[in-house]
Amino acid sequence: MFLRTISHNLTSNLRPTAFLRSFSISPFLTSKPLPPRPKINDTDLTVSYLKGSGPGGQKINKTNSAVQLIHKPTGLVVKSQATRSRSQNEKIARQLLADRIEQLDKGDQSRAAIKADRARKKKASKLKKTRRKYRDLEKDQDHEELPEHEDGEASEDHQELVTEETPTPSIPEDSTPKAK
Amino acid sequence: MPRITNRAILKAHRQHPLLPLLLRECRSHISAKNELRWLRDRALSMVSARENGRSPDAPLGWRSLLRSMCHSRSRGVPLQYILGDQPFGDLEILCERGVLVPRAETESITLRAAGLILDAIRKQGHSQGRMGQRTRNLRIVDLCTGTGCIALLMHALLAPHINRLSILGIDLSPMALELANKNLAHNVRLGSLSKRALKEVYFEQGNVLARGLGGAGILQESQTSIPNAAGYCDVLISNPPYISPRAFRDGTTSRSVRIFEPKLALVPTIASSGISINLDRQEDIFYYHIISLSFEASAKLVVLECGDRLQAERVRNISRTLAHRYGSGALSIDIWACSSDPFAHGGISLNDEPCAVVLRRTDIDTE
Repeated sequence: MFLRTISHNLTSNLRPTAFLRSFSISPFLTSKPLPPRPKINDTDLTVSYLKGSGPGGQKINKTNSAVQLIHKPTGLVVKSQATRSRSQNEKIARQLLADRIEQLDKGDQSRAAIKADRARKKKASKLKKTRRKYRDLEKDQDHEELPEHEDGEASEDHQELVTEETPTPSIPEDSTPKAK
Repeated sequence: MPRITNRAILKAHRQHPLLPLLLRECRSHISAKNELRWLRDRALSMVSARENGRSPDAPLGWRSLLRSMCHSRSRGVPLQYILGDQPFGDLEILCERGVLVPRAETESITLRAAGLILDAIRKQGHSQGRMGQRTRNLRIVDLCTGTGCIALLMHALLAPHINRLSILGIDLSPMALELANKNLAHNVRLGSLSKRALKEVYFEQGNVLARGLGGAGILQESQTSIPNAAGYCDVLISNPPYISPRAFRDGTTSRSVRIFEPKLALVPTIASSGISINLDRQEDIFYYHIISLSFEASAKLVVLECGDRLQAERVRNISRTLAHRYGSGALSIDIWACSSDPFAHGGISLNDEPCAVVLRRTDIDTE
């Protein structure tokens, strides 16, 4: 993703596109680009720093950096206290709020929903691939095992396996009646 | 301070055995949990950094490191001294014992002041028909700079919009100056400050209260070493010591601050002031000196952090009388409340919250 955006920026700024394109190795993941990140107007927001009332400043060294955003038109409230930095918390809260508002607004067509949908699809196809792979492997094993029985070496291997396995059933034969 | 209930302690202990220790200083469950998370992250990163560096001298694993951190926090050591830094805007300000930790209120005042400067420049640019692009130097002086946080954040905010800046931070304490220079280098290394900052931000020793030299003693003294500096400054910003000796003792100043942070940066002392003024309040001494300094240096914008609303009113009166004495022209005085949300306390901003007094000279053309 990152490589792709870099190459995109370079190609848009500079002329020799054919040369620069060779730097981008990663294939295009999706055909359609994601919709742009949603933005909110500053005028719609009430930003408050939740630090508790009372004296502060030099008198008290408060470590609370929680930021709360209220979106006035929808009444949505988002709070972030992930980091020690207020500006960082505000950025995080803004992003969260913008995502949520877009989801309310557009539903399935919102950026967050599309992203989640893509992630889900990717996971599903991955699962599908692994399932197919193991199914094929099993099939191959079955195919290989059939001719192996005719081979001498393979049968010896099997015999070893059998001899290893034989003691285990023999113990329960003695012990099971006593245990029961 | 209300006692923490047994139930709260038990609840905290159930979540993490170290949480009750942090509760002693934080007093609330949520902030204790946040601090534990930050301490834990730091302990983990410190241990992993040490393992990469392969220095065998520190025997602690991250768990014991975290435990010792929590114990010192429970004794009241400021979190920033334990972790060694504090975010300030987009900067990372290093903190050391002996230098005041930057406060969130100072951060919001600095952001707002920078916004004001940028607005003024934009307006000026429009009136000049986008000609100027400000070729002249904008000179900012930060008195009582401490960690250098205000000076550095100002540079970070203004440098993208102003071609030439010169920012001077002045402090009495050599320890603070050393740390401020360290912070400058640290943030340039991190990339949160541009390389220009190394040339445009200075820190120098000076005593705001010692004005026996006559006139703008500190400013003139330091100007000699600064190239391109004329005998003025455009913006004067300061977070001076503003706690009264009484408020330092009577419990309004928290124990942690009282014990672990430098008193020099908190309570103004009469002994160090050169001239005797008939001020009834010791905590206002710095404002008196800084405001007269600003008139002598003909600063166009002065931003001063104050402890509470009453102090801000007193500072407003001081600046009025001084403006009269210096015969300066039109002066607009505003008081900014620090909490940017006026609805938090039912529309009334609390009287004991810090605020800022802002003086703007309207008579001088900002050209």
